[in-house]
Amino acid sequence: MNKVIELTKIFLKTSFSNMDAKMGVSTKSKGKLLLYAFLVLYFGGLIILLSYNLLTGLIAIHQETVFIGMILFMIFGLAIFQSIFSSINILYFTKDTEYLLPLPLKPYQIILARTNVMLIAEYVLIFLVGLIPLAMYGILTGAGVFFYIKMVLAVILVPILPVLLINIIVMAIMSFARLTKNRNRFQLIASLLVLVIIVGLSISMSGMKEDISNEEMAQMVVQANGMIELIKGYFPTLDFLIETLVTNEIGIAIIGFLKTILITILAFVIYMFIAQKIYLKGLVGNLFGGGYKKSNKQINQKEYSNSKLYKSYVGKEFKNLLRNPVFLMQCLLPAILIPILMVGIIYAGINSEDNGMAELTKMLGQMQTNSFMIACVILGIIQFFTMFIYISITAISRDGENAVFMKYIPVPLYNQYIYKIIPNIIMNIVTIIITLGMAQYILHLPIITLITLLIVATIMGVLQSILMLIIDLKRPKLNWDSEYAVAKQNLNLIFPMILAMVNIMVLVGAVALLENINVYIGLIILGILFAIITIAMNKYLNKNQDKLAEKII
Amino acid sequence: MIEIKNVSKSYVKGKKSIDNLNLEIKNGEIFGFLGPNGAGKTTTIRMITGILNIDEGDILIDGKSIKEEPLEAKKNFGFVPDSPDMFLKLKGIEYLTFMADVYDVPQNKRKEKIEGLTKKFEIYDELNNEIQSYSHGMRQKIVICGALLSEPKNWILDEPMTGLDPKSSYDLKEMMREHAKSGKTVFFSTHILEVAEKLCDRVGIINKGKLVFVGTFDEMKQKFKEEASLEKLFLEITEE
Repeated sequence: MNKVIELTKIFLKTSFSNMDAKMGVSTKSKGKLLLYAFLVLYFGGLIILLSYNLLTGLIAIHQETVFIGMILFMIFGLAIFQSIFSSINILYFTKDTEYLLPLPLKPYQIILARTNVMLIAEYVLIFLVGLIPLAMYGILTGAGVFFYIKMVLAVILVPILPVLLINIIVMAIMSFARLTKNRNRFQLIASLLVLVIIVGLSISMSGMKEDISNEEMAQMVVQANGMIELIKGYFPTLDFLIETLVTNEIGIAIIGFLKTILITILAFVIYMFIAQKIYLKGLVGNLFGGGYKKSNKQINQKEYSNSKLYKSYVGKEFKNLLRNPVFLMQCLLPAILIPILMVGIIYAGINSEDNGMAELTKMLGQMQTNSFMIACVILGIIQFFTMFIYISITAISRDGENAVFMKYIPVPLYNQYIYKIIPNIIMNIVTIIITLGMAQYILHLPIITLITLLIVATIMGVLQSILMLIIDLKRPKLNWDSEYAVAKQNLNLIFPMILAMVNIMVLVGAVALLENINVYIGLIILGILFAIITIAMNKYLNKNQDKLAEKII
Repeated sequence: MIEIKNVSKSYVKGKKSIDNLNLEIKNGEIFGFLGPNGAGKTTTIRMITGILNIDEGDILIDGKSIKEEPLEAKKNFGFVPDSPDMFLKLKGIEYLTFMADVYDVPQNKRKEKIEGLTKKFEIYDELNNEIQSYSHGMRQKIVICGALLSEPKNWILDEPMTGLDPKSSYDLKEMMREHAKSGKTVFFSTHILEVAEKLCDRVGIINKGKLVFVGTFDEMKQKFKEEASLEKLFLEITEE
């Protein structure tokens, strides 16, 4: 067991080493520490505010216990969502695997340590978004100490089952790795397959029950209950934990916990049994099986031809993103998948309800959809979707120690910065088009409104691309031994989220200030505002191009 | 020609990692840069190539200052870094055409250059494969090909022999000789003293940021008045 703990520590250190260094309390990092404290307080405050509003509403109609189900369900969903993106990378694509295999370690030790790393990584976020609302419940309902103990136990237990389930799906797919003749293509297809299976599952599950929100709190409660009931059918531990948290009787709570722990242990035993059978085979297959596909094709004359440097450079960036499964899954695909997933869930939800679409159209027919407020809501949604595009924020870090290449070639750094952010801008535009398509399907906006929205959202996308590149230049993560460390375990990834929050706040402010303004004038004002900031940031990038590259050594 | 003039560099205030370095590498010369670990070899190479800023002094590459005219200076050299693990997801041919685009290699020359270099290094048949599938030595070779595509007048290499098999190492040394014979400059750092002894026209030894010796192997022997191997002389110089 000691080896498992040591191994877990080492995995955690290699994964989060950059964070450790940055969390040290040197004089230089005091500012950073303040920043993290601010962020935790900010998001914590936001969660408290949201929980308070929802809870007071529920308490008013004596349905506060629904809140417990909602939060546990949310933790559950978050665990699944995070595992989709991290499981295949942590289990198979970390570079340290090659050094690990020759060591005298038993398969179960590696599996346990990897699973521990996944769970610990999940708990960081889950504690923040899970414990705070539950504590709010405790405070507002005047619960005793017993509730808080139950609460912590529940938050620890909920994510285990989904993580184990996703891992098993991943391991099953990856066990075919050694049969493949083309390792690269297999890694890519396997990653996509995992996503498709899980995204498909979540869409079909959401389609089974109505989940479109209504204005009525009571109806919302019924719906939330419906969703929880459905999930409970698949994952009984959720049911026991809800029961345990809601009850005031110690006996029932203890039995609930025992049942949950028993099921979790059983699931763990099954997981370890299956994992020991298939994990290492898949791991070895992924590392050495089939090898890389060798091409004997003659070089085409065209391949020698020269092209403009910007095309060549942007092409190189795209190839690096598309051919690397980790970068593809973490940096690029969320831009397409998250809007599609949302569209799928909403579409399935609307269609599952009797006359759902007709009701929605009727409701929207009574609203003025071509308004500044609706336009800002759409821009806000776009901000939410585009914050998952991690191309610019990792543009320098993705190159690792080879980022110095930028500094010794005879191409101005500013030009290279622009080439590096172009893929981010392109993916932003893809997300914007998907979101606007979705908005058009529901809202039937005039074409001129759509075009104006496209322009304003693109300007915001360019601003995001420049700002995120500047952050990556100022805080690059160049010494990594796993792509995963750059694309997931990288504190910089919080910045797209912060920018999205700030932008959403600006949009909310704009709606409050210019509520009844003509939609086009409002959007033009927003466009000009963001364009001015974008131009200023671009100037900053150009003027400080050498200084910004100082950390690339 | 590479001229290093009164160059100093500090990473920590008050402690110079490179202290008033002066060096001139002439055209047609193979120059070996030697020194123990942490002596300042890589820092010097990073300053020559523009990766690191120079605190004091200047470096000229064919008369162009890396400080004042960095783009012009960078056009005058080809650089082979110590780690060849770069652009692993690109195919060999994609990497070389990308480098040709970066260094403006004319269309009519690039096919001939790419084929010539890769056939010489026996990696031509691998060009349609991703660099990731190459062995360490093959990766080193493709990076060397990339650096030589534009026929740079100055060729700078950081620890180039690491990981090369005897045949590739021999080929590389031959290429360095050819490069110098055509009137161009070769500047490389190495730990392998035998290579320096047999290949270099002159060597420079750096220790604790200071240049402690510059000259030919014979001059070194004369200076220390003894018939010893370069290894022994090197240890003597760097232990002083």
